[in-house]
Amino acid sequence: MDFVPGGELSRRIREGDVSAESELIRQFEPGLRVLLRRRTGGDHGLLQDLVQETLLVVLQRLRGIGIDDPHKLAAFAAQTARNLAIASLRKAERQKTDVDSEATDRNPDSGQSIDGKTADLEAALAVRALLRELPQPRDRLMLKRFYLDDDDKEIICRELDLTEAAFNQALSRARRRFRQILEERGFSKRDLLSLI
Amino acid sequence: MSADKNTALIERYVAGQLSEPEAEAFEAYCVENPDFARRVEFEQRLKAGLAQVARGNTAEFVRSHNPVRWKIAAAAGVVLALGTAFYAFYHSASLPGHAIMAAVTTESQHTGAMLRLALVRGADSSATLAPGIVRVEIVGLFDPAAHYNVELECLKKKQNIKTLATLEGQHPTSPVTLEVMIDSERLSSGTYSLQIRKQGSDEEPLDFPFQKD
Repeated sequence: MDFVPGGELSRRIREGDVSAESELIRQFEPGLRVLLRRRTGGDHGLLQDLVQETLLVVLQRLRGIGIDDPHKLAAFAAQTARNLAIASLRKAERQKTDVDSEATDRNPDSGQSIDGKTADLEAALAVRALLRELPQPRDRLMLKRFYLDDDDKEIICRELDLTEAAFNQALSRARRRFRQILEERGFSKRDLLSLI
Repeated sequence: MSADKNTALIERYVAGQLSEPEAEAFEAYCVENPDFARRVEFEQRLKAGLAQVARGNTAEFVRSHNPVRWKIAAAAGVVLALGTAFYAFYHSASLPGHAIMAAVTTESQHTGAMLRLALVRGADSSATLAPGIVRVEIVGLFDPAAHYNVELECLKKKQNIKTLATLEGQHPTSPVTLEVMIDSERLSSGTYSLQIRKQGSDEEPLDFPFQKD
């Protein structure tokens, strides 16, 4: 993908170039999703809302008064996303406090708020398909310990009797396959029903 | 930066092991580098997907299949198929034969009444449709290369949401705007909603409610 510098994008959007707006969305959306995914505690719906809101705010700003340093457009977009995420979290906490004064003591990133409606079902389906394909039970356990239990690689290797090279190879294979499954989006009805 | 260092950095970011300034610098790099960001997002989704599957049943990680689950899934499949058939029958039978909603086709349609609908989270009131032929400008994030289906629904009775009109294959006029014409005179007082669905995508539809006095 060709990278268009922020200064050029800002200028073209200011001049009313619609293709530059598409360019900005295509260029910034993946990074904004990364940033906001970390701040939305697994709420897929909120993530999508905030990505949209961020891009709209950035586009409106560029169409209007513009930004001080157009070369720092990406940094401006990132900061806008962070601000919107903080505002959203504050609003959610205020709403919880209205009905439950102990709610503010809870950790917003605990993951407990995730439900079927808002979670990333596609990722869960891909993981399920991946787990079915992994030949060794040890590989499945390795993924669980690395990603869910946040255990150190060295400890996992020692306890599962793996060399670091074998661990990295298995992890890289799993990542590649997960990506492939998501990209193919080849979910059968059986996969979908298994989440019901 | 070497590939190994990149991988280690992504792992640390996703595991929440970077300090806040480190994480912000990492994020700024992601926003400027979409291909790198996609790699990070796959890692985030892998972790989130594993967490979601584990919430259902951690035994998933040590065995590969569960026959009881498949039986439940098959039963759910029958229910889902019946539901889908009922939904399709109901909606095909309820579509009106006259045009309440149409695509914007001429420049002159931009001169009349206009209603702008945008997704504003937390807003208490919804917009009101003026009398006559109204151009409705829907503000959202649209893919200019994609086609969208627009459905006009009546929400007057919550138990009985009714699709009044459907426009298929609509093109957004800009990455943030999609327009349709609505004949307000054909609608009675009540609450309505425009649902925007991207064709060939399983993304959730965007929902824009409005009032007719």
